[in-house]
Amino acid sequence: MKDATASEPNLLAASGLSRRYRGGKGVFDVNLKLAPGEILGLMGPNGSGKTTLLRMLATAATPTSGGIKWFGNSNPRDPSVRRRLGIMLDQPAHFDQMTGYQNAWFFARQFGLSAQFARERLEELFNWSGLAEARDQLVAEYSLGMKRRLNLVEALVHRPAILMLDEPTLALDYRGELELIERLQLLTLTGTAVVMTTNDVHLVERLCDYVLFLHEGRLIREGRVPDLLSEVAGSKEVELQLNSPTSLDGLRELPGVEAASVEGDVVRVVLGPDANPARVLAVLSDTADLVSTMRVRRPTLGDVFLKLTGVTLPASRR
Amino acid sequence: MMLPATIWQREAIEFAQRRRALVIKLAFPLLIAIPLVLSGAPVIYAAMGITMLITIIGSIGAGAVLTRDRQSGLTLRYRTLPVTPGRLLLERLGSNAAIDFLQVLPILLLIWLRHPGTVAWWPALVMGTAAVLLIGNLLGAVASTVSDSPGEVMLYVVIPLLPLLFIAGVFTPATGPIWLAVTRLMPFSYLHEAVLGALAGSPTILPWEALLGAFGFLVGAAGLTGRLGRRVLEAE
Repeated sequence: MKDATASEPNLLAASGLSRRYRGGKGVFDVNLKLAPGEILGLMGPNGSGKTTLLRMLATAATPTSGGIKWFGNSNPRDPSVRRRLGIMLDQPAHFDQMTGYQNAWFFARQFGLSAQFARERLEELFNWSGLAEARDQLVAEYSLGMKRRLNLVEALVHRPAILMLDEPTLALDYRGELELIERLQLLTLTGTAVVMTTNDVHLVERLCDYVLFLHEGRLIREGRVPDLLSEVAGSKEVELQLNSPTSLDGLRELPGVEAASVEGDVVRVVLGPDANPARVLAVLSDTADLVSTMRVRRPTLGDVFLKLTGVTLPASRR
Repeated sequence: MMLPATIWQREAIEFAQRRRALVIKLAFPLLIAIPLVLSGAPVIYAAMGITMLITIIGSIGAGAVLTRDRQSGLTLRYRTLPVTPGRLLLERLGSNAAIDFLQVLPILLLIWLRHPGTVAWWPALVMGTAAVLLIGNLLGAVASTVSDSPGEVMLYVVIPLLPLLFIAGVFTPATGPIWLAVTRLMPFSYLHEAVLGALAGSPTILPWEALLGAFGFLVGAAGLTGRLGRRVLEAE
């Protein structure tokens, strides 16, 4: 155990990280590194292991095997490690019978902030998050979006070196999401690193430097965002809303179809550069009653994932 | 507005802010204790009732709260705080036990008002109450690791508690040297003896023996709480 030095520039490094649950699920053999100022995105469908992986990195869960080093220190219970992590977990858990400000104050003081500094930081963050007017309201009366914003305040208050955010834009409105993006971009300029789980492809494409794709607990692909997007360069994503569910029989055999998935009454198809979207419509019209809408878009990271696994990322359906 | 800087302050503030729950918490032990202490019920039954009441108050509260915390995700948040699990559990259970002590304080005052002449038993009664409350909290905390709901945790607490109270001689006086020796291994027996003494009954040990026994269990429970921090807070 030692502090991070110039010879070990990574704030976070995990190797062979696994956590097995009964029933065979979990996270298996994941390696990752995080440098100062870097934003790492963890993407994958529900149950792919994103949250479990983030919890291990956040010291909230213990790996079954493998190891993690935070700032060169491998002891997850060392208070000096935890003081430098800012964590927003998936559940917006708070002390419901205390006010938002009391909650945030408690966490700020637990992370070693003096009363004066905690007061200054919380004033700034409550104003930033839009919670200033609700600061003296019981958390039990908060909406989900307000609880998530309070989580963000609590994660940011002690100026952590690494921010770990589980679905940070969940339940945030458009303005809240925009303010979060700006804040994170600003923080990375000061060297703060970020790990976030999300399936919001637009958020990842805009914000993340590096992405890990997880599927059924395994790391199936990783890379820089532009490199991953180059794999679908020139392709088109066709999304069709049908009036009734259909199968993909015939569609996958169509020339130029690189990947296709169906969930409910929504069909998503990734077409190669030379394929004609109209032919998709022709094939589907044989089996589906009627296509209600059809959209052709530039490909996203969701399409890269679809090509790799045949599975659609939940939020990338938007 | 009171602002919590420590874990025990947070527990105390939340307790004080829940006014309705506060009134109920303080009133319900008195509803049971008043008839037991003031009605002239046989001392052996009054002592049994009060010992059981104090034990159950200590056991159920912490277990239910920790189970609810686990379900809501608060336990996960506690795990990421820069505090060692042992200290964290000790602070939480210690403050819970202190709040429980406030809850039973009116009962102790009632006994004092009714039997002011049994003052020699007071140190043992206070120490025995503190020890049983902390042990009860610890029992509840351990039970919370295998429970999925606050109702379930009550079941897991009461199932071992009743035979232990019996072995401690709370329900019927211990007879024979072996059983008597075994009762001395039970923390509840020292509280029971102190309650018997404070109610002007016939305890089988001296006040200083009850005080010493209770003190030993209090220190032991504090040490065990520190050691069980990881097991309780990091249980899946």
